[in-house]
Amino acid sequence: MSRLSVAARLHALLWGVFSIGGFIAAFLLPVLIYVNNIAYPLGLWPVTSKDPTRLLVTDQIVTSLLVFVTVAGSLFHGVFRFQTTLGELGLKKYEDKIIAIGYAIIEVGICALLYYLLFLNPSCVRVLTPH
Amino acid sequence: MVRELTSFFVAVFSVLYIYQVALLAENPGSYDQYLTLVRNPFMIGFSIIILGFTLYHSLTWFYLIGRVQPLKIGGKETTPGQSLIVNTVLLLIISIVVISLFLVGK
Repeated sequence: MSRLSVAARLHALLWGVFSIGGFIAAFLLPVLIYVNNIAYPLGLWPVTSKDPTRLLVTDQIVTSLLVFVTVAGSLFHGVFRFQTTLGELGLKKYEDKIIAIGYAIIEVGICALLYYLLFLNPSCVRVLTPH
Repeated sequence: MVRELTSFFVAVFSVLYIYQVALLAENPGSYDQYLTLVRNPFMIGFSIIILGFTLYHSLTWFYLIGRVQPLKIGGKETTPGQSLIVNTVLLLIISIVVISLFLVGK
C-alpha cells in the first residue's frame, strides 16, 4: 500500500473540504442572498419588514448553525476556487502569495463569523459548554 | 473558466455577510446604516448580479456532479442533465423549507 506524504494528504483534505463547501454553497447560499439582499430591501415574500439576518443570528441555535455552515462553507469554496483560478490565469509566479492571502481570508473570516455568531446568540455557548 | 470566475461572487457575498454580522454584534448604529445601504438600488442591483452568478455556479456544479459521479440506477448510468434537473428541484425544495421553517410568520 502506498503511503501519501503529509502534503498530499493535506492537499486531498483541502479539496474534500472544498467539495463540501461547494455543496453547501450550491444548495444554501442562493436562498440566503435572496432573503437578505433582495427580498428584504424590496419587501418581497417571505420577508416583510423584519431584518432576516437579525432573525437568523439571534433567534435560535439551529439558525445560527445554518448561517455558520452556509457562510463558512461558501467562503472556503469561493476563495479556494478563485485563488486556484488566478494561478491558471497567468499569475502563476504570484501563486504562493495568492494562496497565503486566500487562506488568511478564509481563516480570519471563519473565526470572525464564529466569534460574532456566539456573541449574538449566547445560548450556543451554553450548549457548547460542558455542565 | 467562467464557472471558476463566478466563485469570486460566492466569496464576495460571504465576506460581505460576515461584515454585516460583525456590525450587528459590534455597532448597532453602523448596522442600521448598513441596512440603509442594502436598500440602495445600486446595492440591490449588485445583489441580483451576485445571485445570478451564484445560481450559475450552483447549476453548473450540479451538472458537473452528474458528469464526474454518475449514479447507476437499474443498470443504466444517469446523465449530467438528469443530475442538473434533480439537484435543481432539490435546491428549490431546500430553499422553500429554509424559508418556511425559519422566516415565514416571524
